[in-house]
Amino acid sequence: MKTIVSFGLLILVTSIALGGMTSDASAQSDSPLLKIAKRTQEQIYNQISSDSSDEIKRLFTEGTQKINSIEALENDDISYAKEHFLSAMKIFTEISKQLAISNEVPQAEINSMSTEIRNPSNNLQRLQVYVNNLKIIAEKQNVLIDFSESDRLFDEARQQITDHQFVSAMETIYKIKVAIIEINKDLREEASKQEFQRAKKYVQRYIEQLDRLIENTKKQGVTDEIIEKLETGKQNLSSAENPSEIVEEIRKIMVLKNQFELTKNDVLESRVLQAEKSLSRLLVINGVDQTVLIDAKDILQNIKQYLYEGEFDKADKLLNNLIKQLQEIKNSL
Amino acid sequence: MDPDIVPIHGEKSLREDGMLFVRTEGILETMVKTPLLVASLIVVVLMIPIQTSFSSTRTLDLTLYSDGSTHVSAQLDVDPLEPDFEVNLFGPSVDNFVAVGENGFLLSTEIIDDKVTIHTFGSSFITINYDIHDLISKEGRVWTFSLNSTTDYSLLMPPNSIIVGMNALPSNMDLVNEQTKLELNTGLSEINYIFGTTTPPTTTPPTTTPPTTTPPTTTPPTTTPPTTTPEQPIIDISTLSLIGVVITAVIAGVIIMIKRKQTKPSPILQTEVISDSKVNTDSLDTQTIFNMRPEMREDDKEIVKFISENGGQVLESDLRKKFLQPRTTMWRAVKRLERQGVIEISKKDLQNLVKLKKELEKEE
Repeated sequence: MKTIVSFGLLILVTSIALGGMTSDASAQSDSPLLKIAKRTQEQIYNQISSDSSDEIKRLFTEGTQKINSIEALENDDISYAKEHFLSAMKIFTEISKQLAISNEVPQAEINSMSTEIRNPSNNLQRLQVYVNNLKIIAEKQNVLIDFSESDRLFDEARQQITDHQFVSAMETIYKIKVAIIEINKDLREEASKQEFQRAKKYVQRYIEQLDRLIENTKKQGVTDEIIEKLETGKQNLSSAENPSEIVEEIRKIMVLKNQFELTKNDVLESRVLQAEKSLSRLLVINGVDQTVLIDAKDILQNIKQYLYEGEFDKADKLLNNLIKQLQEIKNSL
Repeated sequence: MDPDIVPIHGEKSLREDGMLFVRTEGILETMVKTPLLVASLIVVVLMIPIQTSFSSTRTLDLTLYSDGSTHVSAQLDVDPLEPDFEVNLFGPSVDNFVAVGENGFLLSTEIIDDKVTIHTFGSSFITINYDIHDLISKEGRVWTFSLNSTTDYSLLMPPNSIIVGMNALPSNMDLVNEQTKLELNTGLSEINYIFGTTTPPTTTPPTTTPPTTTPPTTTPPTTTPPTTTPEQPIIDISTLSLIGVVITAVIAGVIIMIKRKQTKPSPILQTEVISDSKVNTDSLDTQTIFNMRPEMREDDKEIVKFISENGGQVLESDLRKKFLQPRTTMWRAVKRLERQGVIEISKKDLQNLVKLKKELEKEE
């Protein structure tokens, strides 16, 4: 037994050590570190003028030397590369701050920055990403929502930004936000209907799991009072009429489970649920060998039966095999 | 010291300088047994899925905008047994929040300060998207992105931004539509950046060039904007760790064999993972392939050349190692070549073996 443990440790330590080495590979001289440092050096150099202070010039030289040091390093001097990179970046940060204080920003750049701040294109981009997300959701949920008005407004705002009519663009963006409120309202109304359907399915699965828990607690000789409380919780959950009530009832059951230390199989149950979901997804994909999936379904039923009978080790072992099998099917797609 | 106390192993095992020597001969032989080796490897492999347990972040991608806001996109694994899930946001100033369940359905949410409760109702993973204004600050012309992340993440810098300082070590850098994309690790990262211009500064350039003490080879160009080509992403750590373990196991196995046989020395330390290097002269030469597939991407050509140089077949993992590509990127490249009819993929020891086809069909 000692040999097993020793050798296990040997392997783990080796893997950790090798893991560290591979992580270090990112700091080779042709690595992102050098590229980033050089880009920064370029930019800083462009910002320095003959009027810059001696301190700034000294710092720049120091930073450049650090970059030279990274370049000069052999590939196996990873830790030094990291050290020089961080030092160089620290120096360049300091230079940037000093340049900012001494107002050595080129006028052209100041103009560019102030334009950037007034320009609402970022605001428009964020809204576009948001509306694109809503479009995808609407399509998934089969909700008919008219996005034509918002699309038109987006085009209008983009044109206004191109023409540097930023005030008009801001007004158009406001109109887009109003349109989004309406879109959201329709979408969330439909989503709430579908949510209740999903919540009911979830309750079914939860009750199935709760039945297994009750059966097992009975076998373990738990007091009738606890079992009665679980049964009551189950009944209340079955009769919950909306998602909020469902959440509330499940919270109560969870409190009970925590109170009486009945949560030890929750992770196993969660994994069973995940496997069940993976299987359901595979069942609707074309090109998957149906006989394999039917076998997987049978295995899942066996796992549930084991859970019902309190044979957790067997269930766990079988579940590991099933998950592996499902993963192999996914990989083959 | 009590003079009556005698070392357990007797006085003979202690030399005059008091150092304890242990006989090492045969330790490996005693400890290392093939079944144990296999068992240990299985343990290591089984540990990997455990790490991806419930309620963990699968992916986290941040996009920085030039006005100081950030778009957050995250995929999270959640416990399907729970009716809802609470997520800590990166700050309280949240806009445009959307949470979507595993089937693409909109999930109802409740945001209070920097926390959001999402009604998952059995979803095993969710996707959230939102904009936030708390991650970036500005001092003078220097913008600072700061995040203490509990997971690795990608960070897309704003267009035209130039990093002028950072306290973190990125694991990778890439260019996406002229924007810098960094791969960052867990922990606190602070990145300082400014917005650069392509125009040179209006002030007179330094008459005494600042890097006067630096060698001329490192002097950066004065006006040319950065023209960095996309970087080769770094190979993912877990894959290499696994390969490392396998290499170690092979080395250990070879040592056992040597110790056992004690006859003829066999080649040890075959550290090159590339297997099946036997030359397959039946496969087409690369130039013929390139002529028949003129549309082939340059990076794909490099892959084809490498396979050809390795006798027409190579493991996909070796391709990843050679080209320092992540698993998915290399998989896409390999599938692309397969679609073009240039290669065929088969399984060998649970790994993908990529072979150049012996005959190439003409494209229609």
